[in-house]
Amino acid sequence: MQALEGLRILDLTGGIAGPLGVLQLAEHGADVVKVEPPGGRTDRGAPASRVYNRSRRSITLNLAHSRGRSIFRELCSTADVLVESFAPGTMARFGLDYESLAGDFPRLVYCSVPAWPSGSRFEREPGYEALVHARSGQQWENTAFRRGPMFLRSPVASLGAMFLVPIGIMAALLSREGSGRGQRVEVSLLQGVLSLTTQNWNWTDAGRFSLPKSHPPGIHQASIYECAGGEWIHAATTSGVEARRSEASILGLDEIPRLQILSMEPAERARYDQQKRDAYRRQDRAGLVEAFHEAGLGAEAIVAPHEKFAHPQLRATGSVVEVVDPEAGPTIQLGPTIFLAATPGAVKGPQPAAGAHNEEVFGSLGHGPSEVAAWREEGIV
Amino acid sequence: MAGPLAGVRVVDFGQYLAGPFGPMILADLGADVVKVEPTRGDAMRAAVVGSFMGCQRGKRSIALDLKRPEGLRLALELVARADVVHHNMTLGTAERLGVGYEQCRAVNPGVVYCNNFMYGATGPLAHLGGLDPLGQAASGLEWEQGPVAAGNPPIWHRYGHGDVAAAMSSVAGVLMALFHRARTGEGQYLWTSIFHASMLYTADSWLSADGTPAPREELDREQMGLAALYRLYETQDGWLQLAAVREEHWLSLCRVLRREDLPGDDRFSTPAARRANRVELTEILQEAFMGDLAVNWRKALLGAGVPAEVSVDTWDGETVLFDGELERLGLVAEYRHPVLGRVRQFGNLISFGATPGRPQKAAPMLGEHTREILTELGYDRDAAEAYRAQGVVSWPGEDYPFEV
Repeated sequence: MQALEGLRILDLTGGIAGPLGVLQLAEHGADVVKVEPPGGRTDRGAPASRVYNRSRRSITLNLAHSRGRSIFRELCSTADVLVESFAPGTMARFGLDYESLAGDFPRLVYCSVPAWPSGSRFEREPGYEALVHARSGQQWENTAFRRGPMFLRSPVASLGAMFLVPIGIMAALLSREGSGRGQRVEVSLLQGVLSLTTQNWNWTDAGRFSLPKSHPPGIHQASIYECAGGEWIHAATTSGVEARRSEASILGLDEIPRLQILSMEPAERARYDQQKRDAYRRQDRAGLVEAFHEAGLGAEAIVAPHEKFAHPQLRATGSVVEVVDPEAGPTIQLGPTIFLAATPGAVKGPQPAAGAHNEEVFGSLGHGPSEVAAWREEGIV
Repeated sequence: MAGPLAGVRVVDFGQYLAGPFGPMILADLGADVVKVEPTRGDAMRAAVVGSFMGCQRGKRSIALDLKRPEGLRLALELVARADVVHHNMTLGTAERLGVGYEQCRAVNPGVVYCNNFMYGATGPLAHLGGLDPLGQAASGLEWEQGPVAAGNPPIWHRYGHGDVAAAMSSVAGVLMALFHRARTGEGQYLWTSIFHASMLYTADSWLSADGTPAPREELDREQMGLAALYRLYETQDGWLQLAAVREEHWLSLCRVLRREDLPGDDRFSTPAARRANRVELTEILQEAFMGDLAVNWRKALLGAGVPAEVSVDTWDGETVLFDGELERLGLVAEYRHPVLGRVRQFGNLISFGATPGRPQKAAPMLGEHTREILTELGYDRDAAEAYRAQGVVSWPGEDYPFEV
């Protein structure tokens, strides 16, 4: 049995935060039905979509068509959760916003994932990822190798929101256990960004408390080293367990007490740091990572995203999974990342073709194949 | 604060960030979170004030010594009446202290017990602890932000990406386990890790059967953007983020820049051509953007339907935390701390229609709620004083040694 067995989610989202957030619920047992426009979502061909939108069923339905909307309301009567990430006002135009559905479906949890918070002065402004970064100051939170703001390669606002989507939905479902009522839940990309500022945005009467900002960037930047062959290592060195050997001993350097290092004159400290960098550059990275782990010290190879699949820890926990995609064929993807001992999660299947489950899902509502075929003729599915 | 998790009781044995941030989110959602803290204080309390504040608000702190039998007994009394136990101790540590899963289950059979690790409960590295950068390194985040492929060193993100990911995943896992328990009565053990949760940041990366990675957009060496039409530009006075992602955006952009010649230029006439000639197009646009101020470009571009935004510095969030509208919407919270005075932090990370509250309590002082919690457990003032005299528990006195 899985934790969310029997739970049904209607997923009308695109992009990152909705699909990847909902994926975590799908792979712990929820029956997720992706509702796409006839012909499928425009972003379904993007490589990322094959991961974000797997483990669910797909139906197509034209919500701009009045019959499409009435069929959608039939679906709502079978659903616990609806998740959408349309531009603000879109669902209201369809007559499918929370207020329009709550009367008939009081138990429905309705989760919206807009870029900007609804009710704000900028709710209808363009909400592309990097615009959220720009307006919320994120491009100045991390320092670049040059002056000025730094473009963030990682879609941090969407990813922050992605973590919040399953939390918001589950909290509302737990609340429903007591109250019997669903509610509207909103996770904006702006809130996704805020979740990441937790160590940096702390304003008080006694001053602002944030992690130091510097060139080169970041407090942990100091423990990034280049190894032989131009490979990079992050030697964080503290691991929370008793170390059996020191970093200096592994690098073949003299042992110098930490306090003595901290009290060095700048020139002496620069010489010491250079000596350490030289020592790292002489070493093979793989051997170094192994030696650090052996010694009980923290270290990781700094790799490209696709190289993670070779990591022995990821493999050992069953997190590297094969998914046979209907278009891309056999692929290697990241599996579930939350580990419930009594009710383990699992990948349920690839991103389905658009409408692959039309007959199955509409059939369960009492609409036979010939009726669905007629809908297709009319452009409803 | 009433919230969707009102009535849920959490005992938090965590320290540093990746552990405590999860229970803070649970507190934000309305759970009663008791932070069980060593009498010398959470290690982060003395080390990094901002990081401590950022993952402790809304909790109640009881300071007690788990290594004394009476301290352990008090902790297990808290566990016995809790729904959730949560922490980030390294593998085996909780068992040695007497608050491992089996020990907690013995006093509370239905408990949901979450251990957040560096690497997980199983696998060759399970025994190790570790910090956020290891997750950022192993997932590819540091490599891509360098970007190393373009010849730069890697960059560590000043966010604690790995800590946040692990904490958030632990909350999602706990809520799923509570949902399962509500329907079956069955509690369970669950784990999450900085390592695994960090991998979600690059979940869009996958391999074909022959090992070929899926295509990904690449950041340029100057760390300006992913494409000529999706990047930062320098203007006369500041920086502008352009996001002209659709064909109509591109055509309007050319009109605003008075470069109507560009759409007809073979080098830029299609999306593929613009990708292939990214450098040339970037140079042309950069020169054009130097012709005016950032705010003027923003106004002209938005007026013409071209997505663009000025890239602003918020001075450690100050301009956002004092934005009156975000405050009205509950996205900013303010409360008082006995030492720090007024505290402003982000408010609701999730907005709930039926429970529109917001976080109301700053991070607790060490042992601030020790007496209150002992009272709830049935101990009177004399018993509390006796425990304090024995060093089993503590609460703040005149000589409070911490900044937070």
